[in-house]
Amino acid sequence: MADVQLMGLLNATLQAATLLFIAALGELITEKSGILNLGVEGMISIGAVTGFMTAINTENLFLSIIVGVLSASIFSSIHAFVTVILKQDQTVSGLILTILGLALSSLLGKKYVGKKLMVKIESISDITEPSNVLEVLLNQNFIFYLAILLMITTSFVLKKTMFGRRLEAVGEDSRAADSMGLKINKTQFIATCVGGAFAGLSGVYLTLSYVPYWTDNMTSGRGWICLALVIFGGWKPYRTAIGAVLFGFLEALVPRLQTYGFDLSPYLVKIAPYLITILVLVILTIYKEGKTGAPGNIGRPFFRENR
Amino acid sequence: MNKYILSKKTVVNDLATFYSFLIGLFIAFFIGSLILLIQDQNPANVFSLMLKLSVGSINSLSSSLNKAIPLILAGLGISIMNSVKLWNIGAEGQIFLGAIAVNLIYININISNSSLFIVILLASGFIGGAVCILFPAITKVIFGVNEIITTLLTNYIIIGLTIYLVNGPWKDPKSLNFPAAAYVGEEVYLPTIFGKLSSGFLVCILFVIGAYYLKEKSVFGYEMRIAGGSAMTAIYAGINAKQKAFYAMLIGGGFAGLAGAIELLSQTHRVSTGISQGFGYTAIIVAAITGMRPVGIFLVGCLFGALTIGGAVIQTIGVSSYIAEIIQASTLIGALIAQFFFTYEIKGVQDG
Amino acid sequence: MNHKILEAKNISKSFGKIQALDDVNFHLYKGKIHGLLGENGAGKSSLMNILSGIYQPEKGSIIFDGDKQKKINPESAARLGIGMVHQEFRLIENFSIKDNLTLSKANIYIDDFEDAFKKYSEIFSLTVNQNTLISELSVGEKQKIEIIKLIFNNNNIMLLDEPTAVLTPQETNQLKNSLETLSNEDEKTIVFITHKLKEIKEFTETIFVMKNGQMVAEDLETASVSDKDLITLMMGEINTAVVEKNNEKGEVKLEVENISLETDAGGFNNLNDINLSIKAGEILGIAGVSGNGQVELANIVSGIQSNFDGKITIKGQDVTEKGVRARKKLNLSYIPENRLGVGLAPGVSILDNSVVREYFSASYGPHLSKNKMVNYLNLLVKEFSIKTGEPKAEISTLSGGNMQKLLMGRELISNPEVIVAAQPTRGLDVSAVETLHELIVDQRNKGSAIMLISEDLDELFKLSDRIIVLYEGKIIKEFEINEANTNNVGLAMAGVIE
Repeated sequence: MADVQLMGLLNATLQAATLLFIAALGELITEKSGILNLGVEGMISIGAVTGFMTAINTENLFLSIIVGVLSASIFSSIHAFVTVILKQDQTVSGLILTILGLALSSLLGKKYVGKKLMVKIESISDITEPSNVLEVLLNQNFIFYLAILLMITTSFVLKKTMFGRRLEAVGEDSRAADSMGLKINKTQFIATCVGGAFAGLSGVYLTLSYVPYWTDNMTSGRGWICLALVIFGGWKPYRTAIGAVLFGFLEALVPRLQTYGFDLSPYLVKIAPYLITILVLVILTIYKEGKTGAPGNIGRPFFRENR
Repeated sequence: MNKYILSKKTVVNDLATFYSFLIGLFIAFFIGSLILLIQDQNPANVFSLMLKLSVGSINSLSSSLNKAIPLILAGLGISIMNSVKLWNIGAEGQIFLGAIAVNLIYININISNSSLFIVILLASGFIGGAVCILFPAITKVIFGVNEIITTLLTNYIIIGLTIYLVNGPWKDPKSLNFPAAAYVGEEVYLPTIFGKLSSGFLVCILFVIGAYYLKEKSVFGYEMRIAGGSAMTAIYAGINAKQKAFYAMLIGGGFAGLAGAIELLSQTHRVSTGISQGFGYTAIIVAAITGMRPVGIFLVGCLFGALTIGGAVIQTIGVSSYIAEIIQASTLIGALIAQFFFTYEIKGVQDG
Repeated sequence: MNHKILEAKNISKSFGKIQALDDVNFHLYKGKIHGLLGENGAGKSSLMNILSGIYQPEKGSIIFDGDKQKKINPESAARLGIGMVHQEFRLIENFSIKDNLTLSKANIYIDDFEDAFKKYSEIFSLTVNQNTLISELSVGEKQKIEIIKLIFNNNNIMLLDEPTAVLTPQETNQLKNSLETLSNEDEKTIVFITHKLKEIKEFTETIFVMKNGQMVAEDLETASVSDKDLITLMMGEINTAVVEKNNEKGEVKLEVENISLETDAGGFNNLNDINLSIKAGEILGIAGVSGNGQVELANIVSGIQSNFDGKITIKGQDVTEKGVRARKKLNLSYIPENRLGVGLAPGVSILDNSVVREYFSASYGPHLSKNKMVNYLNLLVKEFSIKTGEPKAEISTLSGGNMQKLLMGRELISNPEVIVAAQPTRGLDVSAVETLHELIVDQRNKGSAIMLISEDLDELFKLSDRIIVLYEGKIIKEFEINEANTNNVGLAMAGVIE
C-alpha cells in the first residue's frame, strides 16, 4: 500500500508541477525578451475562466482550450501595448494585469460558480490507482506531455536557433540588438503574448483537469509561484522544470502530511516555495556577483532615440 | 508628410499627472459602463447608487474613508520608497505583519492606560511593517538583490505565516467556521470621530503631512531625491545612498505596517486573513496614478475607498463588486496611456 | 572612379531645445575612406545615427545609389548595407563572439563562418577564439569585433564613430592598416569620425568638417588640405592665445604621495605610485589618452574612491582616511568628467542640483530651507550668467553649456582652495569654453591649486603651468609648460619618452 500512497504523491506532484511549469515557461519566454510581466496570476485566471465557460456551454474540450489560450494571450497584449508600445512602467502595468484579471474572471465566472463540468481533459489511459512510475506517467493527460514538449522545444529554440538567440539578444541588450537590425518592439510584443498564451494553457489545465470546477480566486497565488520559478530556474527551461517539480511536490505534500505522520504544519510547508526562491535569488546574486541569469534589459523600456 | 517620428518631450506639463488621472478615470468609467451594459444594468443607475451608498450619508461616507486609510498609508510608504527609485510590492505583507505585531504585543504585555497602550500598539504595527521589509532591504543594500521580487515573495511568506497563526497557535476556539485569532479587548479599539469614522483617519492625515514634509521639505528627502536620481551623484555629494535607501525601505514598510495596525484596532479587531483585501496592491495603483505625490495619494485614496464601498454595496442589486476593482485598475491603465502622450510627442517629418 | 553611393540632403534634427543638425549635406564615394572632422558636440555622431537609421531626421532626404529612400530605420539601413560602430559598443556582453557576429539577418557568413572569421581575424590581428564571451575581451578587441560585425553583416558602408578614442597608439596604427585593406580589397566605403587632426590626415582620402551642427566644408582632398585650414574650419577663429603664466605661486595645497590602486577592471585603470603636488595659484595639467587612470586619480583626490595605497594631504592635513564631506570642508571642489550622471543627477530638478555641494548649509537640523536654496540658485545664475528656466524643471532641460556653467558655478562660488577639474569643457561650443576657461584662470589668480585633467591638448597648453602625462596608470613624464609641445606630450601620451 505504501507504494500506492507514494505513487499517489508522485501523481499529484506531476499534476501540480504541470500547472506551475507551463505558465512559468511562458513568463520565462516573456522575460527573455526583456519584459517583466507580473500579471501571471491574472492571465491564468482569465484562461481558466474562459476555458471553463466554453467547456460548460459547448462541451467541446478542444474549443475550450483554444478559447482559454487565446483569451489569456489577448489579455496579455494589454501589458504588451502599455509597456512595449507606450513604454510605461512594467511593474505597475503587470500588477494591473493581475488585479484586472482576477476581477474580470470573477465577474465572468460569477454565473458558473458551482456548475458541474460535463467534460474534462482525461488522462491518456484509465488507471485508477497507479502503482508504479510508468502508470503514474500514463495517468497524466496530454497537457503534461505537451508541457514536456514545450520545455524541450523552448530550450532548443533559445539555445540552438537563430530565432531564439535573437529573442535573447533583444532581452539582453535591446540597443545592441536594435543596431543589428532586430525588431525590438515586435519581438517583445509577441513574446509577451506568447507568455500570456502559456499562462492561458495553465489556466485551462487548472479548470478543465486539475480542479474541474470554478470558484473565485482559484489560482490562489500560483501565478506568483510561477514568477518565483523563473528566478529559481535561473531563466533556464530545464532548471525551471526541476523547480516546478519541487514546488509541485510541496503542494502535493501539504494535504498528505498527516498520513505520513509528520508533525509539521501544512501552512508552513506552503510558505516553503517562496522562502526557497528568495534564498536561491539571494544566494545566486551573492555567489555569481549579480549574474542571476536575468536578462540584462529586463524591466527597462526601450526607446531608440534615448541618448 | 506621411512620415511620423516619436520623440521624448524635454519639458513635461506640470499638471500632466493630474490630467492623465482624469482621462484615466473617464476611460475607466466608460469601460465600467460597457461591462454593466453587457450585464443588462443601467450604468447611470448603478453609478448613482454607488455614489449615494458610498458618500451619501455620514455612515457611508465614514465607511468609505475608513477603507481609504490603509490605501493611503500603504500608498505613502510606496511613494517614499519610490523617492530612491525602489518599488515596494510588499505592502500587502507589511500590512499583515503590522497587524500580527500588534496582536503579539497585545497578548504579551498589558498597560492599564489604554490611550498609551493604543499608541504603543500603533507603534508596534509600524515596527512590524518595517521588520517585514528588513530582509529585502538588507539584501538590496548589501548585495543588490532585486527588491521587486523579494518584497513580492515576502507577501506570500507573511500571508502564509498569518494562516499558520490563525489556524495554529493563535486560533480562537470560539471562532468555529472562520479561522481567526481571538478578538482584542475593547479598551484598545480606536475611538470613532463621527459616524463610523475611525480616529485612525486623523493618524492617517498626520502621516500624509509627515510624508509630504519628509519627501519635499526635509534634508532626508533631498538626499533621497539625489540618491534616486543618480547613485554616482550621491557618492560624489558625500551622500550615503545605500543608507538612504535602507531607511526609505524601512519607513515605507512601517507606513504599511501602521495601516495593518489601524485596520486591526478599528475594523477587524482580530487577526485573520481578512486584515487586508488586497489593499497593498491597490495602494500601488493609488501611488502610481498620483505620480507618488502624498497629497494626491490622500485624495485618490479617498476616492478609491469610496469606490470599494460603493462596489461592495451594489452587490445587493445583483451587480458584482468586482466592478469597483475593474474601474480602479482601468483608471491606471487609462492614466498610463494618457501619460504617454504627455511625455512623448509624435512629430510629422518634412520631406525635402 | 568617384561614384556617389550615399547622399544626405538638407538634414535637420533637434533634441528638445538643442539643434543637433542644421540643414546638413553629406555624401560618400564608393570604396573611399572619408574623414568626418569636428569638435565634440559638432553633430558628427547625430549625422551618423541618422544615416544608420537610429535617429529620424525632422527634415531632409537620404539618397542611396541614386534612389531616394522613404525612411531609414536600422532594418532598412541594414538592407542597404549601412552599418555603424558606435562610441559605446553595441555588442551583447553575455553572448559569444560568434553569436554577436551572426545575429543579424543581414549576415552573409553563416555557412562559412569559420573561414571568414579566420580571414578577418588575420586582417585585424585578432587572436581570440570565436566562442569567447564579449565580456572577456579588452576594449581594443571589442572594437575589432564591432568592425568585423559590420563586414559579416554585409555592410559596405561603414560608419566608424571615433574608433580611435579608446585605442593605444599601436592599436590605432593597426586599425589604419586594417581599414586600408578593407577599402582597397573589399571596396568598403568608410567614414572615419574623429576630432584628432593627425589621424584624419593619416587615415582618410577626403575630408568633411562639421561645426555647431552645420557642415562647414565638404569633400576636401586630404593630400592637399593644410592642418591650419582644417583647424580654422573645425574651431572657427583659432585662439592661440595662451593665458599669461607669470602667476604667483604660494605654498603647497595638495600633495599626493605614492598613490597606487588596483581596480577590478584591471589593466590601464590601475594606478601605480603616483606622486604630485600643486601649489596655491598653480594649474597642473594632467594629460593622457582616456582610460589611463585619470578618472581614478580624480576620484581618489576628491574622496570618492577609497581602498587605495598612499597618502593624500590637503592644506597640510592628512585626509587619506577621510571621506568626501571632510574634503569639501577643507574647501576642495571636484568638477567630474561625467557632467550628467555624476556632477548632476538626471531626473532631478535644477534647484536640487544647484545645491548638491552646499545643501547642508540650507538646512536647519532636518529641515531644508527652500528659500535658501532658491537664493543660492539665483546667485549662481547671476554670477555665472546661466540661462535657466523654472528652478523645478528637470536638469536636462538645460543646454550642455549651461549645465556645465551651473556645475562649475556651484563648485567655484565658495572660492575653493583646491580644485579638481576633469574634462571641464568637453563637448561645449567655443564661447562656452572661453567663459569656462576664464573662470578657471580667475580661480587660479585667486590662489586656488588646480588639477586640470583634459584630453584636449590645446586646453592644457593654454591653461597649465606644468603638465603631467599619465600612461597606463603611471606618471610617464612631467613637463614645465615652456618645454612642452604637441610633439613631446603627444609621444608621452602614447607611452614614448624621448
